[in-house]
Amino acid sequence: MSKPKIASVWLEACAGCHMSFLDIDERIVDLLGKVELTATPITDIKTFPEVDVGVVEGGLGNEEELHLAKELRERCKILIAWGDCAVFGGINCMRNFMPVEQVLKEGFVETVSTVNPERVIPRVDIPALLPQALPLDRAVKVDVYVPGCPPDADTILYIFSEILEGRLPSVPTDIMRYD
Amino acid sequence: MSEITLIIDGIECSGAKGDTVLQVARKNDIYIPTLCWLKGLTPIGSCRMCVVEEARSSKFLTACTTPAENGMNVSTKTERLFNYRRQILELLFAGRNHFCMFCSQTGDCELQRLAIEHGMDSVRYPFLYDTFHNDASDPNIQIDHNRCILCLRCIRVCAEKVGAHTLGLEKRGWGTNVTSDLGVMLGESDTCVTCGACAQVCPTGTITLRDFVYRGRRNDCDDVVESICPLCPVGCRIKAYVRTGSIVRVEGVSADSPDGGQLCHMGRWWLPKSTERERLATPMIRTGSSFREASWEEAFDLIASRLTDALELDRAGALVSELSTDEELTAISSFFRDTLKLNKLDGFYGNALRNLVKGFEPFVGQGVRPFTAANNILESDAILMLEAEPQDEAPVVASYIRVATVINGAKLINLSSGRTPLETIADIDIRTEDKGLFALINSLRAAISGSSKDVPLEVQQAAEMLRNAKKPVVVIGSKLTEQGYPFVTEAVNLAIETKAFFDDGIGIVPVTRASNGLGALNTVTGEDDWMSGGRLEFLYVLSTGMIPEDKRALSAMNRAGFVVVHTAFTVHPLVNMADVLLPAPAWFERSGHYCTLEGERRRMNMITSPAGNIKGLSVVMKELADRIGLELQRASAVPCEDIFEAVAPSGRARTVACSPESAVKTASFNEGVRR
Repeated sequence: MSKPKIASVWLEACAGCHMSFLDIDERIVDLLGKVELTATPITDIKTFPEVDVGVVEGGLGNEEELHLAKELRERCKILIAWGDCAVFGGINCMRNFMPVEQVLKEGFVETVSTVNPERVIPRVDIPALLPQALPLDRAVKVDVYVPGCPPDADTILYIFSEILEGRLPSVPTDIMRYD
Repeated sequence: MSEITLIIDGIECSGAKGDTVLQVARKNDIYIPTLCWLKGLTPIGSCRMCVVEEARSSKFLTACTTPAENGMNVSTKTERLFNYRRQILELLFAGRNHFCMFCSQTGDCELQRLAIEHGMDSVRYPFLYDTFHNDASDPNIQIDHNRCILCLRCIRVCAEKVGAHTLGLEKRGWGTNVTSDLGVMLGESDTCVTCGACAQVCPTGTITLRDFVYRGRRNDCDDVVESICPLCPVGCRIKAYVRTGSIVRVEGVSADSPDGGQLCHMGRWWLPKSTERERLATPMIRTGSSFREASWEEAFDLIASRLTDALELDRAGALVSELSTDEELTAISSFFRDTLKLNKLDGFYGNALRNLVKGFEPFVGQGVRPFTAANNILESDAILMLEAEPQDEAPVVASYIRVATVINGAKLINLSSGRTPLETIADIDIRTEDKGLFALINSLRAAISGSSKDVPLEVQQAAEMLRNAKKPVVVIGSKLTEQGYPFVTEAVNLAIETKAFFDDGIGIVPVTRASNGLGALNTVTGEDDWMSGGRLEFLYVLSTGMIPEDKRALSAMNRAGFVVVHTAFTVHPLVNMADVLLPAPAWFERSGHYCTLEGERRRMNMITSPAGNIKGLSVVMKELADRIGLELQRASAVPCEDIFEAVAPSGRARTVACSPESAVKTASFNEGVRR
């Protein structure tokens, strides 16, 4: 039997969850003996093949992220929402308290550190923002939720090993965290 | 109280009649999750976390409000309940903006703990992202309504324990909000006493205290020490959280105790803030306008020589803070009183304390035990304040008065020369000039005894209230006691006339800042007031640096030729007046005992170990005695002992004649009832 394939993607988030994954340290060698990492921000492969496990770090903030989430959902059997942004929406939701137009204005024009004398707000070059930043499960079906900002390395490893054992895990309460 | 038996989770549990299901479960070590419920506050059953199933009932019942009945069969842990509770938690998370990753209370948060306990790894409901305001108008307390779950703990503690009734609810439905003073920002509130009780009971990160946030979660702290607050004679119990050697948070102990686990602004903020003040680490000797560091030996030699000279001229004095522990007061009195036979020894609040004792003398002679516990005010149905400012001197006493008056319906009568914040809830508020105070108290007493009908109407009404009261209590302020002992005697007379007798003593509550004043009385308080007298050649001052000294003490220091200040902090008006500075342990580095105003000995525990080159007080006294060539004597008086020898007063206690001008003739009291 070939090794299960894993793809992961970094959507609207800070990469902290992937960093936390790397915090499993030398245990990654063991893990790589059992799984095959395909498209991930770590391997820097951009297109998802058909995989067994899809991992999403981050919430949904723009149309590209929505597209990627849907694409990965279609190509994976089990989808994991990694971290508070994917699970609850996380820090991205801070923008949900104002309309999109104001978010763009704040971000590209009015921020004190921004130099933008022509007050240009890019429209074509960047993906359009969704009306609100959303948790992953508002757009696609999620099978496993791993909250935490970021989830501990041990928690991430626990989830992978449970899936490798053929189970669909949920985070035990003694290691679950939201911060 | 009869016992009842019911089955909870298949276990036969017993409880008392009148217990709620939750109380019976807790007594039998059965865990039921709660959120809005808090021990000591009225249960309201609003959060629905404590729901349980009962065999005979088709509905879920809230355990915190359902009375337990004989023969109930209660289940607390079914899958249905678990899912229901998780659903509630998800709705709470979806309803407002709970973002744990940037909340200061994460890890300390009861909402978060419960959600994790219920395995809440996602929220099935749409997040509302409604905007609520963040009230940062108060310099100490911040209220972020985005994190509020409307458990109403803050509102209940503010009303039921602090009696301030500052917090309340505004609007309806989704927009329901905690508000202060019917719709102003907290910083603009007139009624808030800034005690911080609301933040202590808040289960989420809604109400936080700026000084404590981001300095360590409760469970990250290295140590939690129970001690007492040394700032007033109520002696509230405190819990100090220590992290990396600093006190990062001070809390009251339990909402269940009579004081409601509350602290006042002094305990809540002055205590932890003092750990950041710059410390006096080593002895210092004045050189011109500044100080130089010195060794203890050099400082001792200098002090001993100046003290010897001053003793020969009989111009040496010592001034000791009444915020000192019994043990420190004993060390002081063993040297100054029993070794040096110094008659110029006193505390900062000497005048008030002297008058308090002298005013009480005739009654103690009758076998009457003075003072009742301050929390007995809560039992009282009529409170008479005589020139008292409890909100200023012992704010928790003011809380008792507010709760007794506003919630328990006690009558409040205020007799004072100035204004007091409590005047707004007083039933009768009588103002007089300073000079008229004695006559006013006297006429009130006459009106109560019925010996005089010729008094103003409001005095007549006050007398009527006191006469009809079953458990009146008299609160006397230090502004009254400072005016002379006859004022105290007359206040006690009033208490006897109104039959203000409690199980632990006569219904008098003296409020003062002299937190261990009763311990100081027979150890350091002098026979008479020498401070206003002539110039001294030597003055030793022991100060905790926590309470500002009064003008009288400062001017005595100004007039002294050589001043030794023994204190913990460098920023401090006394330091400018010192010729020699000796470092002392700060309040959080000391342990010892305090005598609360009802005569209870409470232990103060060391919270962090002493910093700097510090010597214990008894060592300092011993070294000084050695250098003067005297042997340090044992202290002859034990702090606080013979003040409370007498028994609780009965109806046989007699009033005594007194007037502000003439000294009280003790002979006449001997005719009083003696044991």
